[in-house]
Amino acid sequence: MNSIERMKKTLTHETPDRVPIDFGSSAVTGIHCSCVEALRDYYHLEKKPVKVHEPYQMLGMLEDDLLDELCIDVEGICGRNTMFGFPNENWKEFRTPWGQEILVSEHFNTTVDSNGDILIYPEGDLKAPPSGRMPVKGYFFDTIIRQPQVDEENLDPEENLEEFKIISDEDCHYLRSELNRVRNSSRCILGTFGGTAFGDIALVPAPFLKEPKGIRDVAEWYISTKLRQDYIHTVFSKQCEIAIINLKKIHDVVQDGIDIIFICGTDFGTQRSSFCSTSTYDELYAPYYKQVNDWIHKNTNWLTFKHSCGAVENFMPHFIESGFDIINPVQCSASGMDPELLKEKYGSELTFWGGGVDTQNTLPNKHPDDVYNEVQERCRIFSKKGGYVFNSIHNIQANTPIHNIVAMFNAVKDYNNNHQN
Amino acid sequence: MDLLDEIYDAIIDGKQDIVVSKIKEALMDHIQPEIIMNEGLILGLDEVGRLYEEGTFFVPDMLIAARTMQAALKLLRPLLVKEGMKPIGKVAIGTVQGDLHDIGKSIVAMMFESNGFEIMDLGVDVQPEKFISAINDGAQIIAVSALLTTTMTNIKTTIESIEKAELRDQVIIMVGGAPVTEEFANAVGADGFAINAPSAVRKARELLCA
Repeated sequence: MNSIERMKKTLTHETPDRVPIDFGSSAVTGIHCSCVEALRDYYHLEKKPVKVHEPYQMLGMLEDDLLDELCIDVEGICGRNTMFGFPNENWKEFRTPWGQEILVSEHFNTTVDSNGDILIYPEGDLKAPPSGRMPVKGYFFDTIIRQPQVDEENLDPEENLEEFKIISDEDCHYLRSELNRVRNSSRCILGTFGGTAFGDIALVPAPFLKEPKGIRDVAEWYISTKLRQDYIHTVFSKQCEIAIINLKKIHDVVQDGIDIIFICGTDFGTQRSSFCSTSTYDELYAPYYKQVNDWIHKNTNWLTFKHSCGAVENFMPHFIESGFDIINPVQCSASGMDPELLKEKYGSELTFWGGGVDTQNTLPNKHPDDVYNEVQERCRIFSKKGGYVFNSIHNIQANTPIHNIVAMFNAVKDYNNNHQN
Repeated sequence: MDLLDEIYDAIIDGKQDIVVSKIKEALMDHIQPEIIMNEGLILGLDEVGRLYEEGTFFVPDMLIAARTMQAALKLLRPLLVKEGMKPIGKVAIGTVQGDLHDIGKSIVAMMFESNGFEIMDLGVDVQPEKFISAINDGAQIIAVSALLTTTMTNIKTTIESIEKAELRDQVIIMVGGAPVTEEFANAVGADGFAINAPSAVRKARELLCA
């Protein structure tokens, strides 16, 4: 089977020839740029600086030679602008605080503050207040919260809709160029286009906007999900309306050029609990997810991808009811997220995309043998009757030992060699 | 329903305006600030913690309770100080160097303060030197959190810095945060670990009494 056939099998819950693998197709299944360089060195690939395609988390682009080496079955295309509101174009050199020479977009403009923290600017505009901070000894950016004073009497939901616009001709043109880039790919294609993430806390503070208005503070937003539900509904309702218009336009351009679409990264789980009840999910989020997923399933051949970190076992039936086909990252280290239980209860209706190895402890801290064993076990549990794409649990972070990363890939490779179908 | 019950309910329901007005009414009725604190506010907050631990309340509810308590304490604290009410202990809390996340840390700080501890909130991205400075300023408990696997190692660095400053024996060190486990806490030499805000307060009381 080729990658496309393999992915088709697993996504339709049939057993493929081997466990398919994704790294690098999205902003939640990636690898920190330092680890991408380490992988390239390990496999003796051409020495060249890693391109950072996702500057917020400093994720490195996996180019074709590395994708081939790692037997990756998926690659990604995305919308024009990054998390900081600028496109990746005219790559320039940049030296990171940890001494790595990388390539970044010409709009990746930074300053260093008095603490030594690196500040990054929305749309690359140094005249605007910075919207991201990489602390000294940090490895990626965190959003700088820019919350105007909340005037309870004059809150206007329109202010939380600034970023949701009808897709432009320029955006469509960019999509065509992305499609061209992957036209001859032998891999399955995952598209990330934006606009369909309802209340994704990474996006609420709007690091891509120069002067965000409305409710942009993280705590304030979470409080609003309890105390200002009418406001949230108004935002989501309008956002959904725009999203469906954009999906039509995107589909006109993309057609069957993608197989999967990333819908939403809103985290409903914490390490041991959740950010809301499932009733709140059903009331506040599900109606909009359902509209988006229903439109996609009715009008396209795409499958829909939901990311949610944390303890979300009890949300799984609700994700299914909302129409999601795929769940990621499958954080097995969170409460209640036992792999066997998840596969048994939900495996026939959801594809698990992730869950391959714990990135909080095993992958960064344990011995390569521990990594190898955990990966083998996860492959065994999740791959029964398809419905599984191997990925670590969320992005591989900086400082993950290269021998542990290699052990992970070796474990999947060996599992596949020993369980060929 | 008496005023203390109404204050208790206002904390659970997250009603800032009501808790402030009922505290004012209680004070006018000559109910002692310490009674208002212990039999209204703290009982209400204990119930919020219990509801969170049982899975009925979630992070937004804790944040709302935090704000409501802050409004209440803003009114009551000067009166408690005037009455001579002493804090149970002094806690310096912060997120480790390199880590900018603070929601969990802020909820824990609120729970400590509301339960009678004096809080030094050192904020986020806290260098070890600031924790050391807090110990020299009288902190009896250092509460350190990390959300990221890449910053967890700085918990160990912080503890080692405190040891190097020969202050380890003078302070109780508690650790927490999403990726932090009891195993990790033991490995880095912490005295205590808590999985959430209510249990952090219980652990702190236990360690102070030990």
